[in-house]
Formats: sequence, C-alpha cells, structure tokens
Amino acid sequence: MTKILTVKIWRGGKDGTLESYSVPARKSQTVLDVVTYIQRHLDADLSYRFACRVGMCGSCAMTVNGVPRWTCRTHVDKVSQDGQLIIEPLKNLEIIRDLTTDMVPFFEKWEKAGGRFEGKQSRADKITAIDPDSKKRLAASAAIECINCAVCYSGCDTVRARDDYVGPAALNRAWSLFNDEKHTGQRKLKKSVKADGGCYTCHTHANCSQSCPVDLDPAGSIASLKRSYSMFGSRS
Amino acid sequence: MEIERHKTDVLIIGAGGAGLFAAVHALQTNPDLDVTIAVKGLLGKCGCTRMVQGGYNVALDPRDSLERHFMDTIAGGKWLPRQDLAWTLIEKSVERIQELENELGCFFDRNPDGSLHQKAFAGQTFDRTVHKGDLTGIEIINRLIERAWSLGLNKLEEHRAIALVPAKDGSAISGVLFINMRTGTYHFVQAKAVLLGTGGGPTMYRYHTPSGDKSCDGMAMVADLGLKLRDMEMVQFHPTGLLAGTGTRMTGTVLEEGLRGAGGYLLNGAGKRFMHDYHPDGERATRDIVSRSIYAEMDKGNTSPNGGVYIEMKHLGPEIVAKKFKGMVERCADCGFDLAGDRVEVVPTAHYMMGGLEFEPDGTTALPGLFAAGEDCGGVHGANRLGGNGVANSTVFGGIAGDSMGRAVTAGSLWRDPDEHMIGKAVARAEQPFGNSGSENINDLREALYASMWDKVGIVRNHDGLISAQSDLDSFTEALNAIPIGSGERRFNLTWHDWQNLDSLIAVSKIITSAALAREDSRGAHFRDDFPDTGKLEETCYTQVQKNDSGLQVNMVPVVFSIVKPGQSLIEDEAGAPS
Repeated sequence: MTKILTVKIWRGGKDGTLESYSVPARKSQTVLDVVTYIQRHLDADLSYRFACRVGMCGSCAMTVNGVPRWTCRTHVDKVSQDGQLIIEPLKNLEIIRDLTTDMVPFFEKWEKAGGRFEGKQSRADKITAIDPDSKKRLAASAAIECINCAVCYSGCDTVRARDDYVGPAALNRAWSLFNDEKHTGQRKLKKSVKADGGCYTCHTHANCSQSCPVDLDPAGSIASLKRSYSMFGSRS
Repeated sequence: MEIERHKTDVLIIGAGGAGLFAAVHALQTNPDLDVTIAVKGLLGKCGCTRMVQGGYNVALDPRDSLERHFMDTIAGGKWLPRQDLAWTLIEKSVERIQELENELGCFFDRNPDGSLHQKAFAGQTFDRTVHKGDLTGIEIINRLIERAWSLGLNKLEEHRAIALVPAKDGSAISGVLFINMRTGTYHFVQAKAVLLGTGGGPTMYRYHTPSGDKSCDGMAMVADLGLKLRDMEMVQFHPTGLLAGTGTRMTGTVLEEGLRGAGGYLLNGAGKRFMHDYHPDGERATRDIVSRSIYAEMDKGNTSPNGGVYIEMKHLGPEIVAKKFKGMVERCADCGFDLAGDRVEVVPTAHYMMGGLEFEPDGTTALPGLFAAGEDCGGVHGANRLGGNGVANSTVFGGIAGDSMGRAVTAGSLWRDPDEHMIGKAVARAEQPFGNSGSENINDLREALYASMWDKVGIVRNHDGLISAQSDLDSFTEALNAIPIGSGERRFNLTWHDWQNLDSLIAVSKIITSAALAREDSRGAHFRDDFPDTGKLEETCYTQVQKNDSGLQVNMVPVVFSIVKPGQSLIEDEAGAPS
C-alpha cells in the first residue's frame, strides 16, 4: 500500500487558511516535489515559486513545519512528522498568494546595508594579485556564498520585531565587503552598517546561522561587524 | 481585455548574465536613459547563468593566447561557429573578466601566488577556466544583482513576455507584451530598443538540466516574427544527470563532469563498466561520446531500476570523494543518495542550445531596434559548446548589446506605434486555455512531449524518427489547443504558465526537429545514425530556419570561414579535444 502524506498548505493572502491534501509518499521526494504534485494533480491554481531545483537560486524557500527551509533540497523524510507536513510561505515577508512572498524588501535592505562593491580599478586594468590565505580574504570567502534565499531573514526574531532591521543576509554581505581589500567604499559601508536598523540592532539569537541552508554564519558575521566597528572607534 | 501600457527607452527581457550586463552597460553608455528590465522570475534568481558550476573561459595566461582559445572553440564547434562571433567572444572575454573582478567585485579563486586560478575543462588545450569553487554563476549573478539594484532600473519581476511586437509598418520593434504573472494582467511596454536575453534551455526533453522557468519563450517569439534561427539541431546533452524517477524535480539535474574526470566509473544495470566498449578514453571521453554510449546501453536494456546507468565513486575513497566533491555529495545526500559511498543512478540530460536567433557581433538583429545576446542567439558555439564558454557568451554579448543600445537610443529617438493586431493575437492565444473544455490533461501532454523529443529528436536521430516526431508535435499542438487549465484564476497561476510554457516548447521543438532533419551529417551534438559521417568540413553548412505562413522553411547556408579555414590553424599544435 502506498504511504500517504497529509499535507496542509497555506492558501490565499495574509488572511488565508491551511488546506489539507493527501499526497502519495515516494522514495525520492522533496518538499518542492510535494507542492508540485498538489499543483499538478490536486489543485491546479496553487501558487509557489521555484527555479533552479538544485539549491542555487534561493527562490523556493518556504516555512515547513514551522521552520524556514529551501524546499528543493529538503527531503520529505527529513522534515515530516508522522507523515504530516505543514507548508506555509516565508515569514517576515508579505504574502503575494499562497506560498509566494514579495522579496523586494529583502533586496532593498541588502542595498541599504551597503551591499554593493565599489572598486578603483576598471575593466581596462589587469587583475591584481590577492593572497588567498590572508586573514581578510579568508573571512570574506567564508561569508560570500549566500544564495539570497531569505531563509535567515524569515527566521529572524529581530526582523519580526523591527521593520527597519536590515537582517542577517544583508549584514553578512556587508561583512564580506568589510574584508574585501578591493572595496573602496569602506566609509559608506561603515555608515550603513552602523545606522539604525544595522548591526547593533541584532540581538544574536542566531536563528540565522542555525537555519542557513548553505551553512554560512550570519550571526558570526554580524558579531564580527559589531566588534570591528567598535574596535576602530564607535563614532561614524 | 484591458492592457496596461508604459513607455521606456531601453527594455531588457531576461535577467541572467546577458540581461543584467546589458542593463548595466546601456546605462554606463548613456546615463540619461530610462531602462526597464523584465524577467519571468525574480531578478537574477531564475534563469541559467546563476546555475553555472564550471566557470569562465578566458585566455589570460601569457602561455595561453586568444588564438588558442579561438581554435579550441572552432575545433570544438566542428567548424560550424560563425567565426567573427567566436572571435568576439574570445577577445572580449578578457575585458569582461576584468570588469567582473575589478568593477563588480566578483570573488574568483586564486593560486597561492595571488593570481587567478584557471582550471582545466574538457575540450581545451590550456587550463583557462576562471571559477569560484563550483558555484561560479552565483558569484557572478549576485554581484550583478547588487549593481542592478543600485542603478535605479525599472524592474518588472515575474513578468512573462508573450510577444515581441513590431511597429505598425513592420519596419522595426515597437515593444513587448507581457503578462504580469502576479496579477495575471496584460502589460505592453513600448521601447526604442529591446534586448532579447531570455536564454534558451532545452526543457522539452524528458531529462533536462535548466532552471524550471526556462521554456524557450524567446526563441518562440522571434520565430513568430519571421526572424531566422540557426543551428537549432544542436542541443547539448550532459552525460550525467541525476535520475530519481518521474515524480521529482531533481531528476535531470547535473552531476558535474569532474566526477568522471577524477576517475568515477559508469556502470550499467548489471554493475559492469561499459565505456571502454565504446571508446578508448572510457569515462573520460567527451560529453557527446559518453552521452551516446550511455544511450546505447539504455537502448540495449542494460539499465538501472529507473532506466539509466550508475555512477560510482567509492573506489576513490568515500572520504576523499566527500571532500573533493562536497557540493555534489551534499546535494545527493539531501535527496537521499550516497554519492561518496554508493552508486547513484544517472542519465544523459539536455543541457544547452547552441542554436538560436541569428545576430551580429554588435548585438543587433535583422529587425531594427531588436538586440539579442546569450543563449537565445545562435552561431557562437557551432555544433558544441565548450564548458566555460557559456557564461562568457552571455556576459560578453550582453555587455556589447548594452553598449550598442546605449549608443543607438539618442535624444532624438522615437517610440514606434505597435502593430495592435499582433497584440490582440497574442492576448487571444494566452487567453485560449481559459475557454478550453477538452478532457486531456496538461501533465500527460508534457510527458508525451518529453518522450517524443527524447526518443526521436534526442541523442541519436534518424530520418524516420524525426518524421514521426514532426507528426507527434503537430498532434501536441492540437491537444494543447483543447486542454483546459482548471480554474479561471489568473493571479500567479502556474498551471496557466505551464500551458504557455508548453506552447513555446512545442513551437521550438518543431524548429529543432526540422533543422535536425535537414542536417544529413553527424557532428558535435547532432548524431544521425543514418548519416554517421561528418562529411567534408570545407563544405560545412549551417541550418537556417524561418517560420512563414506555410510553416517552417529550412535552408542549408554555407559557413564563411572568415578567419581560418578547415585544415588551417592559428596555432602550431593541435586545437580542441583529443578525439
């Protein structure tokens, strides 16, 4: 007999409700596959977002049994509780419909926290040497591979409490720029990061580092920003 | 049906490497422009550039040369590339990689002495692939998104382009008709210049690698305009896609080339290595040979439970494999497979389209005002794309097209009145499924398309199969025309977009099939078992397909060897992959 998963899915906007579906369990089955099955076979107008299918684009994150996750790389067996799944949109972002959210504020805050490189060299210049084992490069490299999926942002209590807080992903990017020896916009970065809603707003609950699907440590990055900017003088 | 209307100077469709570079460069060339970028998913997050694992080919090392990179590209492309396009790619990739590092702030891997690390990639005679681990695409796109967000572009995310609309008199482009996917409403954006940068993505095959949003919409739209597409039979298959059954979107996604390069085994259903039965290089043979060999084993029925073969790495030491191929091992583990210590089922998977719209080295096309770059375009790669030339292609030509648009649109440029008849036709087509009441099912049709293209227009082709596929495809159009999509909901209705995706995919599948039928030889990605020989290279022709009222017209057009002729070379030793 085929095992059946009981899946509750958020339908509608912010005043939506959970609806229940029965989905056959399979050996190779991710949460995204469950959602896809429902759209293809049970409820044709279910909305959700995905793109790459392999954990590179960060489009398909949802809240699964209460925890934000990338759904394309989350096997059902890892998260289902007695064959039950509750799938909701990401928290801390406005719902567009069903499982899709508006990610614009997430990216606006990325920019607000100074997340944009500025360099003094141009396309006409040869690429200059960078010591791969320097302390700064290692710190930057450890933070750089963010897929901007907003899982950390969705799991952050401080974002929930404070609308103006830029959030873990944006500050993690700022930390990589802080350590980027080619980045010439350090003064501006410092100002953005220390502004209201910047790094000092973080309470170090560290949900971000626990939930990051690619094992980055935004909480560590934020702590390092706080420390570094205090160390070099607290006035901006 | 109400249509919202806007005007912009430059309209870019697609937000991968081509679209984002075009936006950045258009504004650098002419900061006064109003630039709008529209994309089917989220900016920089959908599409294929982001998914680049391998890296970026560029001749930087003093021991390497532009000539060597060029010859590798021409030899790899089996003398089919348009040589001025290939040369532009190679020459400009040097500037573009410097721009990525110096102006956009990309992190690329370094050698211990601090210089850029350039790794080996199949089919090339020099180690020239710049990379960021095995996630090069994310790094490039993330830095481009940051730049795009800071430029004050108009962003139309989750806007699906459904028609490139010419001016009333047909003399030039007028704009693009979209569906705002979130609201389900129509939106016409009039522009003085339009960039087509939607990408390709052969997702009409049962097994395919590209992002789920890809459905060849761009190629379908330019075909509808009567513009010429070239090399459309050239669909590259990657030998090792993950095979996990039909019920999962994981199936078809790439397990990287390096696994075979490092000494991984391919085993058939009986657990026996088979590659040496087909080629002396065994598992390390080129992509096309390995794909065909796996396909042959599958044809003989020597298959794994899901109908493919196995890749096995454990003889190299599970701990070593887990360390060296961390990303791949973790991805397999997330999906329930142990790549380091056990066998994983794999199957060849459709990866990239070398063919596409004919375009010029400056990004212009046959329709004034319409520019194009990236996988929508044909002619750069010929019969085969080298790993690492794909992201170079989209970023090089995207930037060039942006420069060209920035120059083309001046203070005196005017908007052109659109062909309203075409807008009406495109809206009617998109609305069609809401009025359908047939009993067939869209999922069954998708599977039927996958099966027909895989079996008859896939890795091994012949006349009878291609003729049969043509008749299948005609019946799929008929079926699609009757298939309903469930509810009347228009807001973010994925099933509606599935229907439109299939519409584009069937249209482009017909073009691929016609081109494959016309090419009566075998080279690169195209293999005909009824015409297994390549023929005389100096008589090489490319396929050119044009849609007109009576259907698809296919011409065989001689390749102009504008830089180097078969038998000649720009370098002293041999170019390309040892065969």
